[in-house]
Amino acid sequence: MEKILLKNIENPNSADIREYQKTGGYQSISNAFEMQPRDVIEEVKSSGLRGRGGAGFPTAMKWNFANADPKFPKYLVCNADEGEPGTFKDRPILEKNPHLLIEGMVISGYALRAEYGYIYLRGEYPLAKDILDNAIAQAREKNYLGENILGKNVKFELSVYQGAGAYICGEETALIESLEGKKGQPRSKPPFPVNVGAWEMPTIVNNVETLSNVPYIIAIGGEAYSKIGREDCTGPKLYCVSGHVVKPGVYELPMGTNLRDIIYKHAGGIKNNKKLKAVLPGGISTPVLPADRIDCLMDFISMPKHGSMLGSGAVIVMDESVCMVKVAHRALKFFEHESCGKCVPCREGTGWLRQILGRIESGKGKQGDIELLSDITDIMSGRTFCPLGDGAAGVVTGMLRHFRDEFEEHIKSGHCKLSIDN
Amino acid sequence: MFNETVLKEIDGIRAKYPDARSALLPSLYVAQREFGWLSPEAMTCVAKTLNLPEAMVRGTASFYAMFRHNPVGRNVIQLCTNVSCMILGSDRLLDLLKSRFDLEPGETTKDGRFSLVIMECIGACGTAPAMLVNTDFHDNLTEQNLEEIMGKYK
Amino acid sequence: MITITINGKNIKLDEPMSVLKAAGKAGIKIPTLCHHDALETYGGCRLCVVEVERMPKLQNACTLIAADGMVITTESEVISKVRRGILELLLINHPLDCPYCDKAGECELQDLVDKYGPTVGRYTEIKRKVPASHKDEIFVRNMDRCVVCTRCVRMCNKVQGASAIDIIGRGNKSRMEPFSSASFNCEYCGNCLSVCPVGAILSRLYLHSFRPWQIDREVETVCSYCGVGCSVVVQVRDDSIKRVIPRFGLGLNNGLLCSRGRFGYEYINSEERLKEPLIRKNGKLEKSTWSEAIDFTAKKLTEIKNSHGGDAVAGIASPRCTNEDNYVFQKFMRMACGTNNIDSVSRMGFASAQKYLEDLLGQGVTSNMISGVKNADTILVVGGDPTAVNPILGLAVREAARNGAAVAVIGEAKGLEKFKTLKVVPPVFREAELLESLLSEVAEAKDPRNERPAVDQGISQLSGGSAGVDTGELKKILLDGKSISIILGSDLVQRANGHRALFAIAGLTYMLEARLTLLSDRPNEQGLIDMGCLPDTLPGGRPVTVHDFRDKFENEWNGTIPENEGLSLLEIIEGAENGNIKALYVMGENPAFNLPDSSSARKALESLDLLVVQDIFLTETAEIADVVFPSSGWAEKQGTYTNLERRIQLLNKAVGASSSMEDWKILKEVSIKMGYQMTYSSAEDVMDEIATVSPLYSDLTYREISAGHCLWPYHGKPLRGEINELPASAEAPEDYKEDLYLVIDKPLFHSGSLSRKSPALRKICPEPLLRIGPGHAQKLGLKDGDLVDVSTSKGGFDVTLSVDDCLGDGKVYLSNNFEDRGVLSLMGYRLDPVTKAPGIEGCAVKIQKKADSSAGSDKS
Repeated sequence: MEKILLKNIENPNSADIREYQKTGGYQSISNAFEMQPRDVIEEVKSSGLRGRGGAGFPTAMKWNFANADPKFPKYLVCNADEGEPGTFKDRPILEKNPHLLIEGMVISGYALRAEYGYIYLRGEYPLAKDILDNAIAQAREKNYLGENILGKNVKFELSVYQGAGAYICGEETALIESLEGKKGQPRSKPPFPVNVGAWEMPTIVNNVETLSNVPYIIAIGGEAYSKIGREDCTGPKLYCVSGHVVKPGVYELPMGTNLRDIIYKHAGGIKNNKKLKAVLPGGISTPVLPADRIDCLMDFISMPKHGSMLGSGAVIVMDESVCMVKVAHRALKFFEHESCGKCVPCREGTGWLRQILGRIESGKGKQGDIELLSDITDIMSGRTFCPLGDGAAGVVTGMLRHFRDEFEEHIKSGHCKLSIDN
Repeated sequence: MFNETVLKEIDGIRAKYPDARSALLPSLYVAQREFGWLSPEAMTCVAKTLNLPEAMVRGTASFYAMFRHNPVGRNVIQLCTNVSCMILGSDRLLDLLKSRFDLEPGETTKDGRFSLVIMECIGACGTAPAMLVNTDFHDNLTEQNLEEIMGKYK
Repeated sequence: MITITINGKNIKLDEPMSVLKAAGKAGIKIPTLCHHDALETYGGCRLCVVEVERMPKLQNACTLIAADGMVITTESEVISKVRRGILELLLINHPLDCPYCDKAGECELQDLVDKYGPTVGRYTEIKRKVPASHKDEIFVRNMDRCVVCTRCVRMCNKVQGASAIDIIGRGNKSRMEPFSSASFNCEYCGNCLSVCPVGAILSRLYLHSFRPWQIDREVETVCSYCGVGCSVVVQVRDDSIKRVIPRFGLGLNNGLLCSRGRFGYEYINSEERLKEPLIRKNGKLEKSTWSEAIDFTAKKLTEIKNSHGGDAVAGIASPRCTNEDNYVFQKFMRMACGTNNIDSVSRMGFASAQKYLEDLLGQGVTSNMISGVKNADTILVVGGDPTAVNPILGLAVREAARNGAAVAVIGEAKGLEKFKTLKVVPPVFREAELLESLLSEVAEAKDPRNERPAVDQGISQLSGGSAGVDTGELKKILLDGKSISIILGSDLVQRANGHRALFAIAGLTYMLEARLTLLSDRPNEQGLIDMGCLPDTLPGGRPVTVHDFRDKFENEWNGTIPENEGLSLLEIIEGAENGNIKALYVMGENPAFNLPDSSSARKALESLDLLVVQDIFLTETAEIADVVFPSSGWAEKQGTYTNLERRIQLLNKAVGASSSMEDWKILKEVSIKMGYQMTYSSAEDVMDEIATVSPLYSDLTYREISAGHCLWPYHGKPLRGEINELPASAEAPEDYKEDLYLVIDKPLFHSGSLSRKSPALRKICPEPLLRIGPGHAQKLGLKDGDLVDVSTSKGGFDVTLSVDDCLGDGKVYLSNNFEDRGVLSLMGYRLDPVTKAPGIEGCAVKIQKKADSSAGSDKS
């Protein structure tokens, strides 16, 4: 497949606007400006583009909701708070192809009649911050940003807002709170951000990867774009593979590529000739899949049928040396650390789960611990304010579903048979 | 209080947003840069500059993991130990930092050279294990190259 | 119309609302820990889950908006299981120390666990431990009991607007901070205390002193501190006040209180209360009996009246006393003593302002409602800080600001610093000129109204001069306003040319069709005016000089009312000084301390032939009196107050006071001894008479007052007309060229006579503070906390300096609340010729740092 999002990134100067322009960059802006804003939305609609942040919500539908709201100004916010552990798909765009994102945002801003854009960038990406700042300055100099873009009566101001270390800010309402200088705690919905978002105005929050698809959709047309990938889940998808594979990295493949192919065909299979044990297919918030269940299509619609989710497309591959109790414990440490504290089930539940898992891992597990773990996940599931708590519960549920014996073994024997340090 | 240059910088930040509160996080970064950490004094300066309630500034700052609420060493090692890094050996790196540099998570070496912060995924999973030293990425870490890298930071 | 069904009950809703609220309206209680009707929705505790037909998951009632046709179930096995689970999670870190916790018995968590909770917890890990913090003088913080519902934070940020507390940390490390020593501008309103569902925030005032179920009785009454008149519930055990709390849904404060109202009640229980009548014998006040004191007073008053005439007698009434007390007081002065020399300290602000404003714009012009302020789109604040003088009114200003109203402040209003749209600080004491130039600009932009000749005339005569500040933005804000509230504090009234500022305010009110509120720092200033405790006015605002009105009252009262106007407050003191006044009767007031140039006032009082004081404490005035009567305090008597909106509210007796007597009753006894009959047997009897004679309180009864909504003019008719011609104006403004001036401060935590006997308020703010701006402090080489000597031509004393970032240069602020160190003792005054209010502006002051060690050697 032709590279769309990662086009040209082997070029060491790919982040420079001249290099980007050389390969046809920023041409979609002029094309889009020839269209009416609503036709741009129509084009995106026909492309079938779905949000790449994890939920897979149809992008044009979100845009239309915002478009229908009569309030102005509207804000376009790029969610570059790539925090899901195992995820590093947006980083190459941000660091190596920033102009693709900027172009996508200018077009989207035009379509949505939003004159202000913000890139909410996670604080852990200091390099991307400098590169984006620089790219924005270049784009402004070339009049792709600012007032009267390309001589048309279009305005789009763009700046980077740096997060400061809070995973929850990847959730769009928490992100908006954070952008407003508050704690990143989710808001209750409705109202949805498309109606009442940043500074109480209609706000469209889209993922980096989502927005980066827009220039290509305008370039080749929605129809043609929709031929990539699968019906209902179209376009290219960035899969980031980490863990025990021969060639970890970001792979741009058609949406719906088989997970087994991703691991074995593209990432070179399991390294050191070890056996595959389990995969977290979409970051650590997605339920684990054991080795014998990886024949599944990695898209928003197929994955739930296999008991997991596409998530951010972050494939964490674990070989036979990995202790699942330890992974679960580490994951819950993460969720406890990142729980914003707003709702009770997540705030208290993550900590309790972590403590029990920690005990089991260190050989102090007790009879009844597994039942207690699943009772706690029962209390949490569906009861938390935002998906963070659900994710935490889901990890434990998934682990217990597929690797219960490993937990029982820990409790029974008081130690772990595996050691990842071997 | 901040000097004129910093006040101007914060004014510039403020101009990007519809209200003063939105400038809080960027201003806290500025304060952290100026003071080295978010000391009570640093937060008071931010509160006064933006005319925001002090408790609100402190509360907001405390929510975010990348704001430092204690003085830190000259170099801040931010080591990721999340799953992708963990299964590729970040624990061994932690052990090394402890045995070789006497550096524990959340602490600073006696000579003030290093502070160690445990990170929750820094987006370098494809080249795990990884860390940030100050704002520099270092990945594919091993016990050998970690020591080398550390040597570069004085 | 939205119709929903909850637990089989059909509920019709006029407007969209949450399911939780809809259920509440129908009397169905859905459990919650984080939701509170007074606060914005949060959705954190997840206890309010309900089942909704055709919705797959359980829904949270607090965030779910009721939609037409919804069928909701609030209790089921599934729901109970979820609630049990949530409660189990809440309890993993919550200490089970209910037997020790003050909240037990009124703890919402305890109640919920009792109803839904698990019988045993399964948590075997180590509980989170946070030591209780006793650092603060008022609040005890037990953060291991905290359930992070954030009610306190939402209250502090979004309702109180102090933003003094916040959650520190995140996730299960969240803590509320700080609550200590007024840091981060804590206003000690204690409203966080009211909403805390558990024992995380407790009051030290009654810590471990009783259990909620041990309360003998609860009495609804009205706060005794300021002119807002908040409703409070006094909880009593063993005939002693245990706690004063507000109640949501009760009164205009609807569950909110300020520091004075919530923590200032302890003076009632003070050991220093007067316990028996005192009579001066051989130069010393000695214990006496009621009959001896009453006989003595009546005899002396009669003697003086007979030998010098009624006008040798004067009376000072009290805006801290009830309508009934004040009504009887003026009647006693007029009928028994034969004089119209009746006034009160309200002359120093509220009464003077109101009289002149009503002269200009008609009776009732200052009767804006607090809810009117809340709903205004534009608010002009001038001459005082509503958040300090009348805190609950201040909250209305803040609420309006939060809802987008433009708030313009002229001068200083610290509590609005984060809420104001615009602040204009004119050069020292030039507010009147600023307002005049603002008025002429506004009048120019508007069509003439030609409805009030005197005001129209005054506007046409404005010189158009300026105070040297740009009023452009101010003008724009006012002209853009559609619903404008003006709030006026007493600072501008206490000027030798105060009537000029008042005229300008009247003009602005008139041209902008604004509503006007006067700040009122005593609980019954309005009532005192309505009762006729003024030298020129009979009850109901009827001028004493008009024969017909006098005639009517003479018929009702069966006697003769002097036809001349009496002396105003400072004229009474001057009369005492020059010997024209021989006897002064003071009810619930402290003129030896509360008047400018107080040492002269004290001397004048000492020179009287007879000084009678009714009070609850041995005040500076009582100390030099000839007779002192111990009167009943607030909470010990029934009566009514009329608040600054002119809302008439009922005070109820909560505790008995065996050794004191109600003020009206003491007056009645003296009156009878003087030969003028009074037959009231209760305060209610007095009100019955007021309702008969006062055209403003026609037909009013206690029963109707208790039912609420007794707003001025209750069935009454405002009759007094406006003036047609302006009184002669004062001289041209002076140039204020001194480097530093002393001005009076009206702090939040103190009101003076009562607050200084309230231990809690003294703990919050133990001593007077001289507030100064950072610029001026730097100029003088002074810093926060320095002990300085403050001196004027009238005297000086030592006081601690407080550097306040909100203040500009040229003025220092000091309150008149603490013994021996009241600002008024350092100030002279000149009377405003129109309002007779004392002008205390232009008081040049020197402040000097006290040398710490060398103080002794200076005195050689």
